[in-house]
Amino acid sequence: MTAKSAIFQKEKWVIPLQLGVTFLFFAIIEIAIELKWLNEYVLSRPSKIFFAFHRIIVEESILSYTAVTFMEVLGASLGLIFIAIPFGILLAQKKVLWQAWGDWVSALAAAPIVLLYPLFLVVFGRSPMTIIVIAFLTGFSPVVIKTVEGITNVRQVLKDVGRSFNLSAYQQFKLITLPAALPAIFLGLRLGLIYAMITVVAVEYLIDLGGLGNIVGELAERYDLPATYAAMCFVVGVSILFFAFLERLEKWLT
Amino acid sequence: MKVNKKPAVSVGGASSEQPVLVVDKISKVYQTNSGSLIAVDGMSFSVNPQEVVSVIGPSGCGKSTLFNLIGGLTPPSSGKISVSGMPVNGPHPSISMVFQEESIFPWRNVVNNVAFPLEINGVPKAEREEHARRFIQMVGLEGFENHTPSQLSGGMRQRVAIARGLASEPKLLLMDEPFAALDEQTRLLLGDKVIQMQQELKQTILLITHNITEAIQLSDRIVVMSYRPGRLKRIIDIDLPRPRTSEIVSSEEFGRYVAMIWDDLREEASKGMAAADSARATT
Amino acid sequence: MANIANTNELKANKTGVSAKLIVRIVSITVVLALWEGIARSGLLYKDVVPTISAILYGIWEVLADPTFFRQAGVTLGEITLSVILGAATGITVGIILGSRPFFAKIFEPLLHYLAPTPKIIFFPLLIMWFGIGEGSKIAMGTISSFFPIVLSVASGMRHINPVYVRVGRSFRATAWQQATKIYIPAMRDPVVNGLRLAFGVSTIGVLLAETKFAQSGLGFMVTRYYQQFNMPSMYGIVLIIFAFAIFVNWLFGKLIVEETQ
Repeated sequence: MTAKSAIFQKEKWVIPLQLGVTFLFFAIIEIAIELKWLNEYVLSRPSKIFFAFHRIIVEESILSYTAVTFMEVLGASLGLIFIAIPFGILLAQKKVLWQAWGDWVSALAAAPIVLLYPLFLVVFGRSPMTIIVIAFLTGFSPVVIKTVEGITNVRQVLKDVGRSFNLSAYQQFKLITLPAALPAIFLGLRLGLIYAMITVVAVEYLIDLGGLGNIVGELAERYDLPATYAAMCFVVGVSILFFAFLERLEKWLT
Repeated sequence: MKVNKKPAVSVGGASSEQPVLVVDKISKVYQTNSGSLIAVDGMSFSVNPQEVVSVIGPSGCGKSTLFNLIGGLTPPSSGKISVSGMPVNGPHPSISMVFQEESIFPWRNVVNNVAFPLEINGVPKAEREEHARRFIQMVGLEGFENHTPSQLSGGMRQRVAIARGLASEPKLLLMDEPFAALDEQTRLLLGDKVIQMQQELKQTILLITHNITEAIQLSDRIVVMSYRPGRLKRIIDIDLPRPRTSEIVSSEEFGRYVAMIWDDLREEASKGMAAADSARATT
Repeated sequence: MANIANTNELKANKTGVSAKLIVRIVSITVVLALWEGIARSGLLYKDVVPTISAILYGIWEVLADPTFFRQAGVTLGEITLSVILGAATGITVGIILGSRPFFAKIFEPLLHYLAPTPKIIFFPLLIMWFGIGEGSKIAMGTISSFFPIVLSVASGMRHINPVYVRVGRSFRATAWQQATKIYIPAMRDPVVNGLRLAFGVSTIGVLLAETKFAQSGLGFMVTRYYQQFNMPSMYGIVLIIFAFAIFVNWLFGKLIVEETQ
């Protein structure tokens, strides 16, 4: 997810080819099932999956599940914006705090925090709050780390320019440090939101509650294979749109 | 002070043996979106045994293309290159290249970097390491054999690159602005090291540079290139006494050579600058 | 996924080591004191915030559980195997994408966008395909670890400093020598970094899968303690898992030799 190299420069032939490859993939599966190379009881026909989309939208109202998922992601993102970013700013301003805690925050990023979800089940019960809090926690360290990085790596010459104009500490922060650090902060927020989204769907599935993760689990338990596959494709599609949207937003904001 | 207006195939140099390098009407044309670009246009010159020759020209004149052509990394569009009478079609064992960029491997220590060409040729470990140590000593890095590149300064790293070039005992050491990334003082001192090494090994060297001081300090002859297309403008013999040291840069003779080359280059460099400015204005 | 912990410049500032130590000691003391205070006051649910001694006892209880090391072995085996499978496929595909711009143009954007999707939703299928046992967990971990490896290998391959390849050519290295002496060592860091990320996501994938449907493994133990409302032991096992994950991540970090420049 680092530098956008030439690979991501769109050329006219790329998208049709991508669509073609995807179509070919589904066609091969369809044919393989038709020829009984693949077992229809574990793998649904792409044609049936395609028609199941209508069903999951109309009968299962997957769109309202999507809305629930996004409300939860929104809840977590409020936490990231109003808790994680200010916390990062605090750590970056008070150098000694970052020196003391920086390694711990980085270490936290490597720990599988989602595993604490049963704990929040005890605290909040089977409620959306459980999902929101655990999603916020998994997005926490990337946001803090990128915020601190952004502020710490503001070029000295820019800070010196501010000082040469005799800016107050507040003006210095508002006019120099924050704008210069903003790209890094947005990057951190994007990473944090990706983590939060993944966690929301995962925990929904694990505790059978709420949005998209929940409906995939439900359909699977009903052994409604075409609908399960359709719902999975739907979730993948929604999350891809979400990441693409975040990328655009980040580009537009910075 | 002797000046050859015409490109001569074998002028200057102490020896009458066959030249180490002969560049014969070499051209390179690149196809770009906006038509074809002639990077090097019909250049001819030669380098005699034990001679140090510099190719100097403004940025963008095709020096680096010439470097890649002689090194065999890029095939020419027309013309011939030969080393010790053998044609160059692709990288030749008699030529070692020292690159402008940091090119020593960060995952190898100094000895293993210098021994790299020997390793490629299947020389046994003990033998190639002993051999490498000799060249490490020659570039003044004894004691750093087991250091990794990250522990060395930029100047030291380029010396490792030179030692690696020498380790394959080439007939011609081909260097492309090896000191471009270094500061002026370091550059002069490394120039002294190169001169010492050259004396000791009687090494034939072709140096590509845009630095006038460096070119005069090190060379027996200087090939001046023009800006686009890269043509041979003229060849200047440097009749300064040898062995030289960096002190020579303060001599009156030296100053005269600088003035003379700058006179040639100024015109070409300003063409280059104007072209760069107008390219910027249109985008 | 993304390399978040790029904190070298931040760590470089070594001034005030003693101040740092004081802050660390003070903050640990404050947190522990607050925790113990809340635990003893019973302000919050007593089970959620057990006393420190109870958590320590919980850790001991987990370690003393005769099945713990067998369960840990199951989980560790699943993670290891899934990272190996993810690496085998990821490195192969990554090399193809890294060396063939045509394939990269078509497939890499797809992989780039598929990488951060929540893989756990595939778990119901994996149970159908590989059963409720270890197979489905390994498959879960493999899917998770494939993406970070393939993306970092493909981009690592494209970002090899071209001058190293030119050096190899100038000394007339054979194709085999180019591969073993230039490409592989130059690819070391992206591969190690890919493995590091893969280990992280595969750990999450495997453990979460175990908490959903399993009969063994550490994730299964977490769920069991939760169902028994044995919070101290649940804290204990989660802390043990965290410590292990952080340790392995640190080990991978040590293996990365940063390039000079």
